[in-house]
Amino acid sequence: MSKRCVEPPDDTTPSSYPKPLASIIGLFESLPEEEKRENLIAYAEQAKKHEPKPGETFDLEDVRKDEECTDTVGVFMKVDPDRQAHFRITLGPQVQTLTKAMTSILCKGLDGSTLDEILDLPGDFVPRIVGGNLVRIRSQTVYYILTRMKSACRVFLNRLRAAGA
Amino acid sequence: MSEPISQYAHPEVLVSTEWLAQHLNDPGQRIVESNEDVLLYDTGHVPGAVHIDWRADLQDPVVRDYISPEAFAELMKKNGISPDTTVIFYGDKSNWWACYALWAFRLFGHTKVKIVDGGRDKWIKEGRALTKEKPKYPPANYPVPAKRLDDEIRAFYEETRAHFEAKKPLIDVRSPGEYRGEITHMPEYPQEGVLRGGHIPGAKSVPWKTACNDDATFKSPSELRKIYAEGVGLKKDDDIIAYCRIGERSSHTWFVLTYLLGYPQVRNYDGSWTEWGNKVRAPIERG
Repeated sequence: MSKRCVEPPDDTTPSSYPKPLASIIGLFESLPEEEKRENLIAYAEQAKKHEPKPGETFDLEDVRKDEECTDTVGVFMKVDPDRQAHFRITLGPQVQTLTKAMTSILCKGLDGSTLDEILDLPGDFVPRIVGGNLVRIRSQTVYYILTRMKSACRVFLNRLRAAGA
Repeated sequence: MSEPISQYAHPEVLVSTEWLAQHLNDPGQRIVESNEDVLLYDTGHVPGAVHIDWRADLQDPVVRDYISPEAFAELMKKNGISPDTTVIFYGDKSNWWACYALWAFRLFGHTKVKIVDGGRDKWIKEGRALTKEKPKYPPANYPVPAKRLDDEIRAFYEETRAHFEAKKPLIDVRSPGEYRGEITHMPEYPQEGVLRGGHIPGAKSVPWKTACNDDATFKSPSELRKIYAEGVGLKKDDDIIAYCRIGERSSHTWFVLTYLLGYPQVRNYDGSWTEWGNKVRAPIERG
């Protein structure tokens, strides 16, 4: 039976990260190595839950396979009137386990963040979640999903600007 | 009808997924999974298999080199492997990392090694058992190897340079685009810090994948001979060096040339293109 992701506490120390993401970072930093791996697997196994649901509509859909990525990744973004973003992600079967885990973490951790918050988000939280040992050559795609989410935010904002021009 | 496995030069180094399923608990063996995906073993593995990480377990944590003989003996002890244990490797990516781990074991003189033909993908595609249970084996006694066999199956930059100057056979196993210098990354992978594209002058392009079928199994003996003997013109007593970017794809070709075709002098240049393509004044050919 698959392990359930440990829910992060609500009162995690404030930081420059969106609150849900900061909670996940705090949780992972508190875990010993073995439990960190188990939680990453649990998050990876939940990646499918973050795929679009039947009937959902989006403000931006970006499905593509980049030349430097092992498989197709689809980013689906819904933006509230107050510019808070909600993401759904589809992953091809060849995507690495760490990337699947990061998909779940980011969909959950950035849900409700504003487009500007996401664009300003530094990538330095990734080794804090994953652990320095796992961020290395041949696992760099762990950053890819964040890059694609930011790209979606950028495209959306450009469209808004163009529409307002 | 398919060609018999006995036509390979060393058929004893290959086991099928079917054979493995029937021999999971045989004494005197250890099943080892080695992957590119660092967490794949944790998601489920062949029952009884241990995990050996190409980076964390086999490479020196600081210097770009392999672990010491002392560290290798400790790794073997931890995994219940003695010098008499037959180690059966399998992994993702058509066994790139399984071949890499096998080659590293050979560097330390461990001779009883085998590969599961088709690797992890074939095992899963056939619906065979997986478990998340991590086995614990009693520590084994593994004497510290007297030395690493760097001189026999590993090539360094200087040796590879002398090799090309002597016009001896060099096999570039990367993708055609990398070989021609059109791209400085593997297709479907990010850039890994290479400054120049191209290949070692005189190297022949034989992408690793040409040795594999679509299901990740190795091609038949006659098909492999056609590729390497007829296609590239390798002769039985040739001194051969294979390379890629960091030495894992070329481990796959090293395995094919050494064990399946029986070439006696094959070395893996593990510094590969991430060393050569960055080296000041290293000669490069494009196109």
